[in-house]
Amino acid sequence: MAQVKTVDEPLYPIAILIDELKNDDIQLRLNSIKRLGTIARALGEDRSRKELIPYLTENNDDDDEVLLAMAEELKGFVPYVGGVEHASCLLPPLETLCTVEETVVRDKAVEALCKIGSQMKEHHIVEHFIPLIKRLGTGEWFTAHVSACGLFHIGYPSATDPLKAELRVLYGQLCHDDMPMVRRAAALNLGKFAATIEPQYLKGEIMMFFKDLTQDDQDSVRLLAVECCAALGKLLERQDCVSHVLPIIIAFSQDKSWRVRYMVASQLYELADAVGPDLARSELVPAYVRLLKDNEAEVRIAAAGKVAKFCGIVTPQQALSTILPCVKELSTDASQHVRAALASVIMGLAPVLGKEATIDHLLPIFLALLKDEFPDVRLNIISKLDQVNQVIGIDLLSQSLLPAIVELAEDRHWRVRLAIIEYIPLLASQLGMDFFDDKLGSLCMQWLGDQVYSIRDAATVNLKRLAEEFGSEWTQTHIIPQVLEMISNPHYLYRMTVLYAISLLAPVVGSEVTCQTMLPVVLNAAKDRVPNIRFNVAKMLQSIIPVVDSTAVETSIRPALVELNEDADQDVRFFASQALQSCDQVMST
Amino acid sequence: MSDLDRQIEQLRRCEPLKESEVKALCTKAMEILVEESNVQRVDSPVTLCGDIHGQFYDLKELFTVGGECPQTNYLFMGDFVDRGFYSVETFLLLLALKVRYPDRITLIRGNHESRQITQVYGFYDECLRKYGSVNVWRYCTDIFDYLSLSALIDNRIFCVHGGLSPSISTLDQIRAIDRKQEVPHDGAMCDLLWSDPEEIEGWGLSPRGAGYLFGGDVATTFCHDNKVELIARAHQLVMEGYKWLFNQQLVTVWSAPNYCYRCGNVAAILELDEHLEKKFTVFEAAPQDVRGVPSSKPAPDYFL
Repeated sequence: MAQVKTVDEPLYPIAILIDELKNDDIQLRLNSIKRLGTIARALGEDRSRKELIPYLTENNDDDDEVLLAMAEELKGFVPYVGGVEHASCLLPPLETLCTVEETVVRDKAVEALCKIGSQMKEHHIVEHFIPLIKRLGTGEWFTAHVSACGLFHIGYPSATDPLKAELRVLYGQLCHDDMPMVRRAAALNLGKFAATIEPQYLKGEIMMFFKDLTQDDQDSVRLLAVECCAALGKLLERQDCVSHVLPIIIAFSQDKSWRVRYMVASQLYELADAVGPDLARSELVPAYVRLLKDNEAEVRIAAAGKVAKFCGIVTPQQALSTILPCVKELSTDASQHVRAALASVIMGLAPVLGKEATIDHLLPIFLALLKDEFPDVRLNIISKLDQVNQVIGIDLLSQSLLPAIVELAEDRHWRVRLAIIEYIPLLASQLGMDFFDDKLGSLCMQWLGDQVYSIRDAATVNLKRLAEEFGSEWTQTHIIPQVLEMISNPHYLYRMTVLYAISLLAPVVGSEVTCQTMLPVVLNAAKDRVPNIRFNVAKMLQSIIPVVDSTAVETSIRPALVELNEDADQDVRFFASQALQSCDQVMST
Repeated sequence: MSDLDRQIEQLRRCEPLKESEVKALCTKAMEILVEESNVQRVDSPVTLCGDIHGQFYDLKELFTVGGECPQTNYLFMGDFVDRGFYSVETFLLLLALKVRYPDRITLIRGNHESRQITQVYGFYDECLRKYGSVNVWRYCTDIFDYLSLSALIDNRIFCVHGGLSPSISTLDQIRAIDRKQEVPHDGAMCDLLWSDPEEIEGWGLSPRGAGYLFGGDVATTFCHDNKVELIARAHQLVMEGYKWLFNQQLVTVWSAPNYCYRCGNVAAILELDEHLEKKFTVFEAAPQDVRGVPSSKPAPDYFL
């Protein structure tokens, strides 16, 4: 792998690198190109400018992979050719790369040019960078035109007024280019370019370009124009935004291409700020509601994901009367992905709607989604349950949702079970001890015997959190005996879970309880026939050394470890010796 | 923390090792694997896994469901590489675990652990792309030659990647093979890695062009003669992750969910406890959000 080379590295490998720039083997050329920096440092700034860069400019009829690497290297090449003063010498090779057929190479070259151009002095921009934009923009091939579109925003701010006018005209030509690829590039870069333009031209010429792009025959061009809406909306003054951008996006929301409508659905909310709250309510929301009812599932997915955000900008009444009916419909949508998108944000409606409306209208939807046949939908609801707690309170939540939660505790998909387990400590703290014992206590034990390892693991962490919540006494009666009982399981993986649980519970219940109840079980497991159990005993003992008092360490833990250190299995010996070292450290302090 | 432990941590994050580290790892692995028998003895409890095929994030999912090595003992029945995007990381992680915990994990050879096959199905190109040279591919394929051909759990369960061979009737005949070579085009060693069970009588020609098809009677005879009760193998995609055949004398285990990122199948592992009680755990492909950061623009095909 390439190392950082120093200047005084011997010239010999440099000669090889230079030689390999011309090698027939592409792998060697690639290797050399990736070390252009090394070569340049060896040649020095002057020769790099006069020999290396011209060489690269002339010899770039190479594999795309090599050209891509070249563009990437040149991007950071300014220091090697003498700093910003000489940065313009890097433009010629990149200009050629801007015209190649492979998009990836062109994109990289444009990226490099933008980086170099943003460092260049103003008069250099005028002398070198802007002529380059003009050459590319009027070049023979569409590839050059595409690349040019991405460079205007770098050159424009430094240009003189007549030059600026020229650049705007040129951009206008590109917006009307014969090739859709060029118009796509023009649409894609319009937002960036617009940000550098003076207000008077922004309202005039740029908005004209924008309008033309929005009426393009190709939906792929219109699609990119939609993306400009939000960017332009932020640049324009409110009244201009309302008169120029708003009608366009409203028209787009009924475009015949679903891909355009999809883009509108994901961009619409971004305009809310630009047009102000009143118009957002009167104009954007109706368009949004239409998108929620769109024929195309992809559009509904994008729209459903914004439900909470849109409810945030309307009045609660409007949310109830216009958006909620759509939400109800989406919750039984034929597409599972629409339901999943809805489930991931629907909890955010609760704070907006308030307690009453949440109970009346949202809870039934939650319940339906919790029972959805698609696991992602269920998962998305569960992972946001706490947002609802805050609105309707735990009593109501437990009455209405607990049965559904209990059902999901045995869900077929382990990630759903995991989400439920992670929610349990919060539920426990709000339900209180008594209620918890009745409803959820046995579930928590059941998870310890789950077939999936990560569920068993999460179940032990859950027990620790419950122990912290309800205290040592409760833990001694409600958790420890049940956990210890499982040590007789005939399957080693389930006995191992008991050991994990013990190591997590020990710090919570303290030395006395640990030594009296749990330590004997661990010591007994040190004689287990399965080596995995024995080395985990060593690890567990190591972890509880800081918890128990030193007498216990000396009288029971150390002897057990000494014995394990003589075990026939090498892993048991390894972990036992690690644990013994911990013993020694504790004793010596 | 030792270098090896650090490398395992790194590989668990799906970051490949340096070329020099791969070389050192392979040297150590060779010392361990050369001592293993062609019919490697394995003690229960152990979890059996089928094909992985470079689907690194699904291998992580497997460990999430089955438990991490060394806590859980594993036997992987070959085809670690090819087809998926992360053959390098997948194989190196398994190999690093083998070197660190030789008694906790067993790797046996699949038909894709071969110089010829990996040049066609992706591992060779992946090495070239990730390291800029074929050295890592050379180190890995050299190690493939040392992988054991089969395993025997508690003298009761015979594990092999593909299946049986007409030139093999006893385990001792397998033990007599000189395995340290590229997978041959025919013969016993080839058959073990290539054959498939089929509802036929006796032997049949394999549509794969290597190995054979073998029927239930062949399996019964093999089990009887060698006093084993079950043949466990991988090698064939089964949509449900596992499949019993021949009156529960043979089982196929497949551990690459949504194979090739498009087949829509679930995967399975077979967890054997210390009494050889069998429990299949079925799992699905890792969801998108745990697959690391996907690059916004996928590299064009010719870079792959």
